[in-house]
Amino acid sequence: MQSLENELKECARKLLTEKKVDLIIGYKKGALPLRSTPCFIREEKDVDSLIFDFTCSNNLATYLQKSKLAEHRTPNTENHGKIGIIAKACDARAIVQLIVEKQVKKEDITLIGIACTGILDLKKVSDGLDGKEILNYKLQNGEVLFQGKDFKKPLKLSDILCDVCKTCLNPDPSVYDSFIGEPISGAKTEIVDKLEGLSPDERWEYFEREISKCIRCYACRNACPLCYCEECVVDRTNPQWFGKSTEFSDTFTFHITRMLDTAGRCVGCGACIRACPTHVDLAPLGIKIEKEIKERFGYTAGLSLDVIPPMATFDEDDKQEFIM
Amino acid sequence: MSTKKQEYKKTGAQEHKSTGTQENWQPKIIAFLCNWCSYAGADLAGVSRIQYPPNIRVIRVPCSGRINPIFVLKCLQNGFDGVLVSGCHPGNCHYISGNYYARRKFAILKTLLEFIGIEPGRVQFSWVSAGEGEKFAQVVEKVADDVKKLGPAKRFVKRI
Amino acid sequence: MATFKIKKKRLKEFIDNLTKEYRVFIPVESDGVASFMEIGDLRFDSYNTDRPPKEIFFPQTEALLTYKEGEISSPEQASTEKIAIFGVRPCDAKSFSLLDRLFGMEPNVAKCSEYKDTYWINKRTNALIFTIGCNHPLSTCFCNWLNGGPFNKEGTDLLLTDNGEDFLVEHCSKNGEEFIKTKGMPVQKATKVDIKRASSIRKKAESTLSKPVDITSLKEDLDNLWDNPVWDEIAYKCLSCAACSYLCPTCYCFDIQDERAGNARGKRIRIWDSCMFSLFTKEASGHNPRPSSKERMRQRIMHKFNYFVENLGEFGCVGCGRCIRSCPVNVDIREIINTIKNVKLTVSNEK
Repeated sequence: MQSLENELKECARKLLTEKKVDLIIGYKKGALPLRSTPCFIREEKDVDSLIFDFTCSNNLATYLQKSKLAEHRTPNTENHGKIGIIAKACDARAIVQLIVEKQVKKEDITLIGIACTGILDLKKVSDGLDGKEILNYKLQNGEVLFQGKDFKKPLKLSDILCDVCKTCLNPDPSVYDSFIGEPISGAKTEIVDKLEGLSPDERWEYFEREISKCIRCYACRNACPLCYCEECVVDRTNPQWFGKSTEFSDTFTFHITRMLDTAGRCVGCGACIRACPTHVDLAPLGIKIEKEIKERFGYTAGLSLDVIPPMATFDEDDKQEFIM
Repeated sequence: MSTKKQEYKKTGAQEHKSTGTQENWQPKIIAFLCNWCSYAGADLAGVSRIQYPPNIRVIRVPCSGRINPIFVLKCLQNGFDGVLVSGCHPGNCHYISGNYYARRKFAILKTLLEFIGIEPGRVQFSWVSAGEGEKFAQVVEKVADDVKKLGPAKRFVKRI
Repeated sequence: MATFKIKKKRLKEFIDNLTKEYRVFIPVESDGVASFMEIGDLRFDSYNTDRPPKEIFFPQTEALLTYKEGEISSPEQASTEKIAIFGVRPCDAKSFSLLDRLFGMEPNVAKCSEYKDTYWINKRTNALIFTIGCNHPLSTCFCNWLNGGPFNKEGTDLLLTDNGEDFLVEHCSKNGEEFIKTKGMPVQKATKVDIKRASSIRKKAESTLSKPVDITSLKEDLDNLWDNPVWDEIAYKCLSCAACSYLCPTCYCFDIQDERAGNARGKRIRIWDSCMFSLFTKEASGHNPRPSSKERMRQRIMHKFNYFVENLGEFGCVGCGRCIRSCPVNVDIREIINTIKNVKLTVSNEK
């Protein structure tokens, strides 16, 4: 049986040589041992650099946003043409959501779904190795053997995957043009609220601690495929809704507003969490909102092309137990 | 471990709000009322001389659907102790469906605020129609009562 | 010039004493992020912090002036506190010396900015910098490309070398020399054996760094590459966030905002800003001269490796590697430098 990466390369090569796509957006090896990096491939000779493994942390759907696509016009193409994009199940759902919201035309995209068993959480890896620098690693038998300048240490794979990956409810893309690998169905678990069982005061303390780390770099917002507003509310200065400093309530308001604006559209890919340079963990916020949306409105983002996002519509019989 | 660098790590009482001693502290509550129903209902309460707590400051909006959750967050940032949002009963919205959209927004906002630890009872929602002067007074009574019990808002206040 | 040493086990006591006269900052790890804080457990073994020490002298949010009931005050400017930073790495110490020139602190040095930033100057003057040299540079360190090194002395008052049980201590500035003479740092004179050991540690450390790429002509190369399509290749994946700029020890752009609480009170604050944001150059008309990540990435590289040289005589990068580690899409500035050099080669071959 062909390895995942070889299958991927063949698929990409075929699409390019048969001129079904003009551009392939995928992952290639990054400059550091545990990092991959997005790559844009227009020529068949570059297809061999494509990889796919647990370091593929970015949600490539973000590059399909109109504003980002507009930036990638090269001198010899009028527009970006047809795009083949490599997508884990969560990324695929983001693409479907973008199509539903009319940001991207389905005919312009070739969605190459790929089987994903989870992405590494680099903070967990660093914690497990006491912050030491990693020079090499090897995956074998559910363990990853990390090697540095003067150490060798195995960590269990299940201990170092992202929380959102470990509780992934939709590991197989429901809409795709090609699929690489074997479907993963059966790996469903319930979304776990990390802060469940804590009192409101304890939850507030958790968020206080996390928000204080934020440096307002907006890596989270820019990494998110669904954050595509031409002018973000946090950037407006006339009127200015939020302060731009690192003052606590301003920073918290930014994050809450971003979560509310992506309510019912967030696919829980975790790209925002992984993009953060100071490891602010706001995943519980996003997860809570999507859980509420699923309970109240029976909707999960990106599973079907034939829906209206829940916050853009209503039902006369919506529950209103909280209204006097 | 506290650090000088991260001045805002621990929340505390806002220095600029002299809200008096604990006993005679009065909450400041902001009420967003939709023009066609809730504002008219509040007006009716006034005209009918129905007494209700004076703690609310009213902002008239065309429809409860006009309320952006950011407004509620900004009220908390600016030091309001409570927020009330009131609109027409479902089915009676002057703009047909504004309050239906609002209902969904408010549900998610309320869940989120409670989840992060803002005390339930600070931010409340109601449907009050133009003829429900008595109900309006009762709603304000309840909100003022709830907020009084919770004390001054500290968690989300912007420190300048 | 005598060299000294201080026993590692006497360090805690020394730092505690230092706090009596100075506000002392040490590298501390908290919740996965290492930064300079005033209180915490000192870590010697870690590499340079995640957050840069520039934030001690140039905080991300700083009040320029405060007004209250008609009175205006500027506490940040008037402060007379003395700051000591213990555990800076040579790359970060060099960033201080670069920013000193940028903020107008050294008018006698050729190529210093004329503008004086009193907020920076006030905190930096009389600040004491204790640098710890890097025995184990990271694979992302490239200070040696930029006239730096794991035991470089620029911007340092006292350079410490981890010698095993103790630290070798050398003064690198007048302030450092003064300090050793007068302040009672519990040091002893270093022996020839100590010095020899330190020297071999340093040689070993320097040899672990990756071979430096020759960038002596980088400024001139960039002069001719403005319209070159290589910038598309370099910038395609950039998300235009500010992770690299905010964590960079030499980036210094800021925005000024007014914030008020009602009518009687308020502050004028300055906050970090980044040329990587699309908003940075958006004009009131709506036009943006740097509309895409390509123009912004070009600006960043030009600023660090061309404009800085023109204005201040040196590259504006210290090779600390924070941008490489923190970039969400793994943009690597070393790759960019190599790409630029290769383009220059092809361009000159074609000529």
